[in-house]
Amino acid sequence: MSEQISRDNLRTLVAGWLAAGKKVVGPVQVKPGMALFAPLRSADALLLDRWVRPSNSIKEVVFPRHEALYGYRIGKNSVELFDAAVFEEQIVIGAHPCDAASLPILDKLFNWDFQDEIYNQRRAGVTVISVACTESDDECFCTSVGLSPSAERGSDAMLLPRADGGFDVRLLSDKARGLFAEAKLAAGSDGQAAYAGPASKFDPAQVGAFAKDHFEDPFWAEHALACVGCGACAYTCPVCHCFDIVDEGNGREGVRARNWDACQYGMFTLHASGHNPRNNQAARQRQRIYHKFYMYPEKFGEILCTGCGNCARNCPEGLGVLPVVTEVSHG
Amino acid sequence: MDNLYRPDLMEIIGIQQHTSDVKSMQLRFRDPVRAANFRFDVGQFGIYSAFGSGESTFNICSSSNWRDRIEFCFRKVGRVTEALWKLEVGETMGFRGPYGGGYPWAEWRGKDLIFLGGGIAMPPIRCAIWYALENRDDFGDITIVYGARTVGDLVFRDELDEWAKHPRVRVVQCVDPGGQTPDWKGEIGFVPSVFERANVNAANAAALVIGPPIMIKATLPVLERTGATLSNVYTSLENRMKCGVGKCGRCNAGPVYVCKEGPVFTFEQLRQMPMDY
Repeated sequence: MSEQISRDNLRTLVAGWLAAGKKVVGPVQVKPGMALFAPLRSADALLLDRWVRPSNSIKEVVFPRHEALYGYRIGKNSVELFDAAVFEEQIVIGAHPCDAASLPILDKLFNWDFQDEIYNQRRAGVTVISVACTESDDECFCTSVGLSPSAERGSDAMLLPRADGGFDVRLLSDKARGLFAEAKLAAGSDGQAAYAGPASKFDPAQVGAFAKDHFEDPFWAEHALACVGCGACAYTCPVCHCFDIVDEGNGREGVRARNWDACQYGMFTLHASGHNPRNNQAARQRQRIYHKFYMYPEKFGEILCTGCGNCARNCPEGLGVLPVVTEVSHG
Repeated sequence: MDNLYRPDLMEIIGIQQHTSDVKSMQLRFRDPVRAANFRFDVGQFGIYSAFGSGESTFNICSSSNWRDRIEFCFRKVGRVTEALWKLEVGETMGFRGPYGGGYPWAEWRGKDLIFLGGGIAMPPIRCAIWYALENRDDFGDITIVYGARTVGDLVFRDELDEWAKHPRVRVVQCVDPGGQTPDWKGEIGFVPSVFERANVNAANAAALVIGPPIMIKATLPVLERTGATLSNVYTSLENRMKCGVGKCGRCNAGPVYVCKEGPVFTFEQLRQMPMDY
């Protein structure tokens, strides 16, 4: 037995949140062939009718591509610093399990030893309502990294699509129970067996071992030949979190801001002396795989990848985690 | 909210220009409570900022016993350091830290100390030298070999002469061939060979070697020939950093975040890490 909600009633619920002034983020069609997670202007814009993998990820709600860390004002004989980050309640609806799982993975990074309270405050305001996947594409590989099309990790609620167009509702946190308090839910049996997802495509432990033991290996250079260093893989990844800190403003006032950065850029590790530890694209491709499958597990006990496939889907050259690690894994 | 990235405001209380493009600055916390409570370990680093231009990472090059100030040293080479260069005594800049770990003084106690530095690498050695001199009885003989391309590129020159006056301290200054001036009284040659000529027995020594990669590469075999083991030879890495607190994802050398697990490593540790620095 579980509770159910019809698709119309779900839209009515979302419309109610919007009417109450809440910020709701979900998949919307921005142009033919491209969906993005973006703030909803209306409940009708929410893509609910078919499976679609947005080109970005929900990490933007906790780790925006640009955010002010604090502001500065320079006076005649003094400098004044002030809070500049704005925190708001955000509801994410229509996340996939590969999106939702990114948040508990990122929580570890932003809280080991030093607590990043800007991240934490943003995170505390987020409720994630996921929709289980009913299909997948060639780039999907959640089942290879310990997740599944209906994995609940990181979700406050899980909606499981039913054949009748409605959803079985699993409320997993008090935040979600609060948001659904006004919802028209009906009791009923589980609609259908959960979709099992794509067959597992590789073994992450094997990839980690390869990255560790083949630091100097022609393999990386061969793959990097195709890489244009655009960083699309990192920007659309749910868990890539590298950032830059820059001042934006003038000599009188401005903000110190955190912007997304990517290990695929040549200047990412460039020293002021001109020395660059990763002075070629092969080293930078290696870093991305090494970080995700060896370094992050060493530090935080789990891989830095949720199997969403966005890196491959968004790569202009057909690279990304899956094509590379499949080759590693299959020798 | 406790904001990890928000710096302390520092008053610049002194500026020393060392070369045509290197300065060191003395800073005092504007907040008296912070000034009274601030502690760091020699060898740790900070992130320094000029508001409107951004942040850069430098070692804290003063001794932790100097409670009235901290010091840092930089070369004018980019956007932030150009802005720092223009600041004057009395003006305000930003500092956050201390970050990373310091030098392992407990392990160095009772040993001879060898300090080998090249060029702008002097500041992270300078703080260790002062700290060692302030705890002189804890250590055996101290040998300092410091070199730069030219006489004009040597930093903290006045302090080199001061250190040489201490008992059981030997200071050797050198410049690359062609870098000497007519009145130059130091050695002419590169740090590794000058150190070898100094004939130091490194068997019971801890060595701190900081400088350009080529200097380090040539120095290690010399140290081993003079009796040192790589587990007693230390350096301070300076991978590019933004956050300093293990989050921004760029300073890792293999699986190790230099900002958190470094910046101080032995060459024995580095030997087991991939070449990623």
